[in-house]
Amino acid sequence: MKNTFSKVFQHYWNPYTALLLAGLFSALYFGLTGTVWAVTGEFTRLGGHILQFFGVDISNWAYFEMVHMKGTTWTRPDGWIVWGMFIGALVTVLCSNNFKIRIPRQKRRYIQGLVGGIIAGFGARLALGCNLAAFFTGVPQFSIHSWIFIVATGVGTYIGAKISQTRWWKGKPKLSKGNITPTAAKQRMIQPYVGTIIAILYAALIIYFFTSGKPLLGLGALFGAIFGILIERGQICFTSAFRDLWLLRQGLMAKAIIAGMALSSVITIIVIGVYGMSAITQIAAPSTFIGGVLFGLGIVLASSCETGMMYRLMEGQVLYATVFVGNVIGATFLAYAWDHLGIYHTLVASGAKINLVATIGPLGAIIATLLMLGLAYLYVVYRERNGRMTDWKGVKTHANTDAS
Amino acid sequence: MPTQMQADFTLDLRGESCPYPVIYTMDALKDMEKGQLLMVVTDCPSSFRNIPQEIKKSKYCFAQEPIKNGQEFLFYIYA
Repeated sequence: MKNTFSKVFQHYWNPYTALLLAGLFSALYFGLTGTVWAVTGEFTRLGGHILQFFGVDISNWAYFEMVHMKGTTWTRPDGWIVWGMFIGALVTVLCSNNFKIRIPRQKRRYIQGLVGGIIAGFGARLALGCNLAAFFTGVPQFSIHSWIFIVATGVGTYIGAKISQTRWWKGKPKLSKGNITPTAAKQRMIQPYVGTIIAILYAALIIYFFTSGKPLLGLGALFGAIFGILIERGQICFTSAFRDLWLLRQGLMAKAIIAGMALSSVITIIVIGVYGMSAITQIAAPSTFIGGVLFGLGIVLASSCETGMMYRLMEGQVLYATVFVGNVIGATFLAYAWDHLGIYHTLVASGAKINLVATIGPLGAIIATLLMLGLAYLYVVYRERNGRMTDWKGVKTHANTDAS
Repeated sequence: MPTQMQADFTLDLRGESCPYPVIYTMDALKDMEKGQLLMVVTDCPSSFRNIPQEIKKSKYCFAQEPIKNGQEFLFYIYA
């Protein structure tokens, strides 16, 4: 028992394990509910509720109409996906005794987090999804907009990585001569107990949803918690998947994400075939590309995307509260700009909903998707071997000659 | 807890979020002379994994196994 506990909580899980499970569960969630694992749509609704609270009449805003403002966040499955993710991540952080209020020393980080968060929130909703609905759960829905979004995110994160390398953005660390005394570790561990209590209470809530005739809320709450556990234990970070590819030539996270999407695609096409469900398609338009670039830029500037932000906040990283606020502000501003500033007419109206299943059939769709993912995988392997942006490049050749 | 080694320099990265811990660490090592010892204190969970990954690929090496110290990690790295 103790051994299993330590295996699960003392070490982070292999990203492949976490992402293959995420791919499996996201396809299952689609099969059970007909909706996908997503978060930023709910962020937009939260922004809408905040506007309503301050007396703003949003009844004629087209974007809010599109994302369905019905009920409150507590009566929507999408809402429970978000809160479930927060709670699932918090439980595993506590069970691994890893909660700590972590305060950035450099004040510039707060501004970077807020600005990046706003850009990422705006971009994600402009493209009608984030790294989930327009990426991890968009590709397995065979929606072409997600392919455009992935390429655009690559472009945006590359620009972001360049900016984050500049002296004024990067800042300076505290380097001192000699040793310092690290914080004395506490002997008594109470975090795992608190985590267990929260887990039990939350399980009771899920059971209540199922027994009181609200199965969709129960599924949202359950799968939300599963996704929260997976992103925290696997430290799943879409930002680092791109950024580390550009900055450090590290491709592990990117390859694991691709593997997760491949598995999810295969299961989804089976679900679609067996149950005759229709895939969820979003519009592919100039807005998809522009939104993807902005999203990519924003997540690198903020050091986190909309999902990574969630578990980092639960780890006690205060910085990510500003990223969360930024995400909601950005998403809400997009909802305003959608019709009030003519974004829909200039960037979206010319687009079309294109789904591979509808255009080339289920077999063609899965073959094309796996082919695209295979090429993406090869590109990551290529990047791992060639070129990096940081100025400690060339280190590798020394390592080979040193042979230490 | 294993004995504390006598480091030449210490990077106190507590509070810094990903990716800065790994970037600062590599930058600091680059400016040090070969054989000098750097101590890194970090509490960013992502860095518990990506600092060792990056060190493994570089010419630098760990002086001892990373130490988990509560919610922090201590790394001892030879430049």
